Amino acid sequence: MTPDVATPFPLLSLLLWLPLGGTLLCLLLRHSSNLCRWISLLTTLTVLVVALGMAVSSIGGSGWLFYEDAAWIEPFGIRYTLGMDGISLLLVLLTALLQVAAILISWRQKQRPALFYALVLVMETGIIGVFLSLDLILFYLFWELMLIPMFFLIGVWGHENRVYAAVKFFFFTLAGSLFLLLAIIWLYLLHGGQTGDYSFALDALRQTVLTPGQEMILYIGFMLAFIVKVPLFPFHTWLPDAHTEAPPAGSVDLAGLLLKTGVYGMIRFAFPLFPAAAQKSLPFLAILALVGIFYAAWIAYVQTDMKRVIAYSSVAHLGFVILGLAAWNQLAWEGSLLLMINHGITTGGLFVMIAMIQDRSGTRELGKLGGLWTVFPNLSAFFLLFCLSSLGLPGLANFAGEILVLLGAFKADPLWGGMAVAGVVFSAAYMLRVVQSALWGESKKLARNDDLAVREWLILVPLAALVVLLGVYPAPVLEFLREPVSLLLETGGMP
Amino acid sequence: MENLAQIAMESVNFQAIMPSLVLCCFGMVLLLVSVFLERGRTAPICWLSIIGLVVTGIISINGWNDPQAGFAGGVVLDNFATFFNLTCLIAAGLTILMSDSYLHREGYPVAEYYPLILFTTAGAMWMASGTDLMTIFLGLEVLSVSLYVLAGFFRGQLRSNEAGLKYFFLGAFSTGFMLYGVALLYGVTGTTKVAGIAEAIRLMPDASSNPMIIAGAILLSIGFLFKIGAAPFHMWTPDVYQGAPTPITAFMSAGPKAAAFAAFMRVTYISLDSLQVDMSAMFWVLAVLTMTIGNFVAIAQKDVKRMLAFSSISHAGYALVGMVAWNEVGFSGILFYMLVYTFMNIGAFAVLVLIGKQGEDNLTLDGMAGLGYKRPFLGVAMAIFLFSLMGLPPTAGFTGKFFIFAGALKAGYVWLAILGVLNSAVSLYYYLRVMVYMYFRDPVEDFSWVKMEMATIVSILIAIAGVLYLGVLPGPVMELAKLSIF
Amino acid sequence: MLENYLPVLVLIGIAVAFAVGSVVMSGLIGMKKPSAVKLAPYECGMPLVGSARERFSVKFYIIAMLFILFDIEAVFLYPWAVMFKRLGMFGFVEMGVFIAILLVGFIYVWKKGALEWE
Repeated sequence: MTPDVATPFPLLSLLLWLPLGGTLLCLLLRHSSNLCRWISLLTTLTVLVVALGMAVSSIGGSGWLFYEDAAWIEPFGIRYTLGMDGISLLLVLLTALLQVAAILISWRQKQRPALFYALVLVMETGIIGVFLSLDLILFYLFWELMLIPMFFLIGVWGHENRVYAAVKFFFFTLAGSLFLLLAIIWLYLLHGGQTGDYSFALDALRQTVLTPGQEMILYIGFMLAFIVKVPLFPFHTWLPDAHTEAPPAGSVDLAGLLLKTGVYGMIRFAFPLFPAAAQKSLPFLAILALVGIFYAAWIAYVQTDMKRVIAYSSVAHLGFVILGLAAWNQLAWEGSLLLMINHGITTGGLFVMIAMIQDRSGTRELGKLGGLWTVFPNLSAFFLLFCLSSLGLPGLANFAGEILVLLGAFKADPLWGGMAVAGVVFSAAYMLRVVQSALWGESKKLARNDDLAVREWLILVPLAALVVLLGVYPAPVLEFLREPVSLLLETGGMP
Repeated sequence: MENLAQIAMESVNFQAIMPSLVLCCFGMVLLLVSVFLERGRTAPICWLSIIGLVVTGIISINGWNDPQAGFAGGVVLDNFATFFNLTCLIAAGLTILMSDSYLHREGYPVAEYYPLILFTTAGAMWMASGTDLMTIFLGLEVLSVSLYVLAGFFRGQLRSNEAGLKYFFLGAFSTGFMLYGVALLYGVTGTTKVAGIAEAIRLMPDASSNPMIIAGAILLSIGFLFKIGAAPFHMWTPDVYQGAPTPITAFMSAGPKAAAFAAFMRVTYISLDSLQVDMSAMFWVLAVLTMTIGNFVAIAQKDVKRMLAFSSISHAGYALVGMVAWNEVGFSGILFYMLVYTFMNIGAFAVLVLIGKQGEDNLTLDGMAGLGYKRPFLGVAMAIFLFSLMGLPPTAGFTGKFFIFAGALKAGYVWLAILGVLNSAVSLYYYLRVMVYMYFRDPVEDFSWVKMEMATIVSILIAIAGVLYLGVLPGPVMELAKLSIF
Repeated sequence: MLENYLPVLVLIGIAVAFAVGSVVMSGLIGMKKPSAVKLAPYECGMPLVGSARERFSVKFYIIAMLFILFDIEAVFLYPWAVMFKRLGMFGFVEMGVFIAILLVGFIYVWKKGALEWE
């Protein structure tokens, strides 16, 4: 396959390596935390601007919007292949946006700021790399690269139980991805043995002829890594710990972005490479997703830590995403991807706000919070908005995705759809409980009682605007998704 | 009787032994120079030995793609040997760079240290280029005898004495096994030439059931496996590695190990090729055993130096996976992996050299607490080496393991690859723990005694450069490794 | 092939049986009348003075080792001298190298003071 757009300037590489450049600057100038702060903000903003520019320039485009290819490790046929279609574009945009929020929310980072910002930027390179790679080894490289900064973010800047959470996170995700590596190498050798062309390119490997047995084993190897990352029930146990213990920026990255890489891996790699095995696995995925939706909602309801509630709500929402994928039709997939983006914005916003609340009240325990509305009307209004979006209120972001997923699920199997609808009701229950105990009721002791500062307005306004906009008018996003999704569903990727 | 000189001259080919010859000359000259210097002045010897290594390296590189055989087929300087020679030279160079300040700190500024390292390296190079079991044995002995002395170099320290003595006794014992194997193979085949043995075995109708050949092959392997530190012949490693001076530990775990692998590969791949099925089966068991024992015992270690000793056992196991594969990818994978391992392991030891107090009682996990903040450079360096030892991209550890496991999968050893990968997962635990102490614990010590010695820093920087280069752009070196298979 | 070794095996068996048998038998049927003289390490000769575990000066060992080293040199020189004419120039150079290496060692131990007794 040849690129449709021969990029004169390597925009994708720029997007990818810019944050890493910021990292190096931060490490070099580590003695001035102020400088580091501004460098990281400027870097993330630049990435956002570049990504936005790329989005605007590629409205109405088709095929690979951007594409780069170069030789890398030739003895093994490993290439440096980057490609961006509508799906990657949206996810990169989401990454760029949430990273700006992550930097802004940790603007007052006192403890080892230079290292902190440096790691957040490495994270950005890793995540963008995952969304752009079309060579499996390159993909694996970025897949692992995301892990290292997150490990340190949780372990160094996290809350009380951070070391445990960091190590658990690292183990779960790495153990999963080691099988991914094995499966990649095996697939590569099978393909090379058949054709004599040893290559890790996604398009080449899709042509591999596999026996059903091989296909299933390889598929499971791929899916283990992705399912752990999503995370699908019962592989989700690392997530509540990691989310709860991570610093605000880490939680935003984890919930908003890291989980999406798992889903992205499925639709870009696991499903297209092993279509027959994927078809066989759909009912199981749907069952796990449904169990996850209910289980997570149930557990979320009894949590007392706000961050834990949101963490479990992520498990439930990602359950919807996977259910949409399992439905395997255009509508559901578009819904899943839209929900992913909307969930990223909503949950990112929620974690940002929890950090603000914790700043002011000194706690995340629902029992120790209350009556915030009377003290911080602005902050509470935003918080309510994000909560309502999260529980799927029509007109707000999450609803747009969920309704498409539900419609698609009904189309695939009315039973799935019916059960998933019940799941939506559950999510209303636990989110409303958060709203009720945090915003209303008696006021509790507070550390500070100033409402939103300018910096906080700057973070919240764009996120809130997007929550409303994507809820009311998701059409532009769906426009980007239409062609890639139909291609992925029909042929497994670009022709 | 003909002119004896004629016969002798014909087989003499100095080209074939040039690198080790030059290195030995440097070693002898340095010995002479050292006695004319006043006691405790080691710096000139240190730098001269570096020059010797560089000169030898240049000579080795010049011989690339120009195979030279000599001494009646007892020695050959092919690409295979050259690749290993360079690996050993790099190991020796990095070791010497970190040694000088270390020797002064520990109170043993003795100049003989450097010539001994040069002799060890020369022995290693003979092993790599030996095509006669006797040449290989000669190299092994030169290497071992020097290493026995180096392991026990701190003669006032009990631990170092223990290391030297243990290494000597067990080493001598394993050499006995190996010689016995050589004798048996000679008895059956009538030659000690690597190629000759292969020929003789091939012509034998029932070679794979001949007890003499089997016993010979096994005994010979035991000798090599001991040097590699593979289970169940690994028992000496932890004590010797912990007791020996830290730079020597670093060197031992890389250079001599690579040389032993070189000779082992040449002998098994050429001489015992007819026994491939049985040998592969044996290596399968040994590889799994070695990886597993190394990793699981490393988990229990509190002392970082000792932990790295066990981790080096497990890495020998990963390399053995390439032997099991018995194909081009697996063998060139070992070449590549030994080079990678040289950089990452010596780098990690170099960091330990810098942060150790005199006597090195503080190299425990607790002693590492907060290192990442008090000494950011050392913290980052150690983190890079540990990530590489774990096998995470974009470090060399990843590409190295990738190469090896690709070989195993290519040969159809799926379960072996899975076990190897599971073992890597286990190894995460103890490597990560060092990281947790370095970055997640508050500093107990202020590390004020750490002097940023220039030479050691250079050694660390070279190691980092190697780890990152082989991790990010491994293509050219991988290509060289593939060209190095005989 | 292995059956060729049977006689060797038999010989080993007989030798071991004889050795073990002699020791066991003499222990069983021999008369035992121990006395101080009989139990001494050396039954004849000088009476013992002090313990056998006395420490000697390390210099004895060093001299002994050096003696062996240079003794070996002489062992090589004899056959070389016999064949000197046939070996010609090549043999001369070769032996020169050999001696030179030993000479390096000699200078080394000399400068290190290994040859000085005090």
